[in-house]
Amino acid sequence: MADVHPLQVMELSKRFPRKRGLGSVQAVSSISFDVRQGEIVGFIGHNGAGKTTTIKCILGLLKASEGKISLWGSAPADSDVRKRIGYIPESPDYDDSFTPMEYLSMFASMRGLSGKDTDWMKLLKRTGLARWETTRIRQFSKGMKQRMSLAVALQSNPDLLIMDEPTGGLDPIARKEFRDIIIEENKRGTSVFLSSHILSDVETICNRAVILAGGKLVAEGSLKELLGGEKLYRITVISRRTGEEVEEIMPEADLQSRIDSLRKDNLPIVKVEMALKSLEDVFLSATGGEEQ
Amino acid sequence: MRMCTLFISLVLLAFVGCRTDYDIADIAPTEHLESAEHHGHDHDHEHVDGETGDEHSVDEHVEDSHAGHAHSSGNRNHGTQWFFNQPWAAPFIWGKLFRDALIFLGLAAGIFLITGRRRKR
Amino acid sequence: MKAVFTFSLMTLRMLFRRRTLWGILLVILLALAGIASVPSFDVSNQGRFILDFGLFGIEVGALLLALGLAANLYPRDRETGTLMPLIAVPLSRWQYLLGRFFGAALVQAAALIVTCLGLMLILLFHRLPIPGDLLPATLLIIVEGWFLLSTVFFFSFFASPPLNWPLTTMLFIVSQMSVSEFVSAMPSAPGLMRAVRLLLPHADVFHIKDPIAHGFEIEPVYFLIAVFYGLCYSAFMLSLALAVFRGRDLK
Repeated sequence: MADVHPLQVMELSKRFPRKRGLGSVQAVSSISFDVRQGEIVGFIGHNGAGKTTTIKCILGLLKASEGKISLWGSAPADSDVRKRIGYIPESPDYDDSFTPMEYLSMFASMRGLSGKDTDWMKLLKRTGLARWETTRIRQFSKGMKQRMSLAVALQSNPDLLIMDEPTGGLDPIARKEFRDIIIEENKRGTSVFLSSHILSDVETICNRAVILAGGKLVAEGSLKELLGGEKLYRITVISRRTGEEVEEIMPEADLQSRIDSLRKDNLPIVKVEMALKSLEDVFLSATGGEEQ
Repeated sequence: MRMCTLFISLVLLAFVGCRTDYDIADIAPTEHLESAEHHGHDHDHEHVDGETGDEHSVDEHVEDSHAGHAHSSGNRNHGTQWFFNQPWAAPFIWGKLFRDALIFLGLAAGIFLITGRRRKR
Repeated sequence: MKAVFTFSLMTLRMLFRRRTLWGILLVILLALAGIASVPSFDVSNQGRFILDFGLFGIEVGALLLALGLAANLYPRDRETGTLMPLIAVPLSRWQYLLGRFFGAALVQAAALIVTCLGLMLILLFHRLPIPGDLLPATLLIIVEGWFLLSTVFFFSFFASPPLNWPLTTMLFIVSQMSVSEFVSAMPSAPGLMRAVRLLLPHADVFHIKDPIAHGFEIEPVYFLIAVFYGLCYSAFMLSLALAVFRGRDLK
């Protein structure tokens, strides 16, 4: 069973019926990817690309129109595999009359976990909520609710963490703490599927990325493949008109001909250097640079 | 599919409902109606209603200046047939009640299992 | 079942912390006190009056509690996003539904027992006898309340709370009517009215306030059958609610 990945999505499509039965909207169109054991996979796409829809299909909150999803080779509805998942929703909320401690105790009982209050206290400390242990959730900010959802997700020491924009409401320091926790969990052996708008987060912690645009998968691969597939070079020249430095980025194949043409025009070349591609460049080039 | 489930449930429910008419006035055996009439108009005899199981053997009535004529607690009054056309006073439908309860339970279990299996697929 | 049990307790604690429960309970108790303060003709009639209207008040209280406690549970969970973390991981949909139902049912039963105790106190205050069947009658009203609660849950999966209130109230009223009463509401279409009425629940099964107020003894076997009928009908309504919920995409 070594080849059974924690998550496999095969030809997944999801259509939502329009109101009054007037046709349907294709939210996700025949996408396939997987999350392998021990990987952190970034799931990126613009607003409305179908990321949350895909995640909800994976969790069984939405029924796939076509295709198949498997979690360790089983259907998402299987209660045994669901126990191995930790989930952080996009905008988490909880019954606001409870305290984090009460909530964690009850979630533990629902999941059949054997931990004690001291364990949950440690978890609250780890996620930065120890001071608010007895504060009712109704007094929490969005960021604190995100931390709470991280605590709930980590409670069962999950084998697969599915996160939908987990750092959306966090400040830069909290985002760094979140990333550190994800890396710690990954070192423990947890596979992570991270949907995010914040490309720098994905670039920092992910091994692979899946890029979605308009409900279709437009790029997938390891970050090394995505970022280093083609060597780019940056040429800096002095503009004849303004007298200022101007940069041009081009692929290696075009470099020599461009240098020749600049020399022919007697334009002073300041420097030629390798340009490092960012995930943002990859994302913009894969999605066409526009929201669809 | 959802509409299909709803339709099947309604058909089954109709099957249950139409087989059991709870309008006691319609389906009561004549003894029950006669007994109610009897209690409504004949206060001078002792009566044991074996059919309905009601225990009100002695009609002790008291005169009431406001209602004209009323029995003491535990006894039937004039014009109160509706009072006895309720399930608690009609043992002949208790068996139907029990049977319908079992059908509802079966339907509940069926719907639970069928919709659960479809979802897992 | 441990997950259902824990989630029921969670629902119970949540409902006890909401003001809705206490507000409705206060209204029912005030209504009972109001009924008892209506002057009556003689001691015997006053006892009947208090029992008859008191039990009717508790029955209406069961309807109010069912609506007040449950009409907003699922819509609120959907709206606030509380539902997602619950359904996504620890609970399946049937566990969610049963947990919410059992929690609300326990709270409703506790509130109805309090109102029954209130009625007993009123009878004692007026130095009137407390009939032995009062507690079983309250038990039947509790079962009727659970049936109403399951109906509220059923409607809540496709109707907003403001729509759930009239729908459940209408069903409550219709379910009290006999077939002939219902047919007489529209005598021009007797066949249709008869068929519609037979499809709808028969809540007159739970009616024993009249005989209790008039001092009739109810056979214990009737209590058992009526309770069983109510529980089975509630299970049926919940299964319908679950069928709707299971077919629903949680966007």
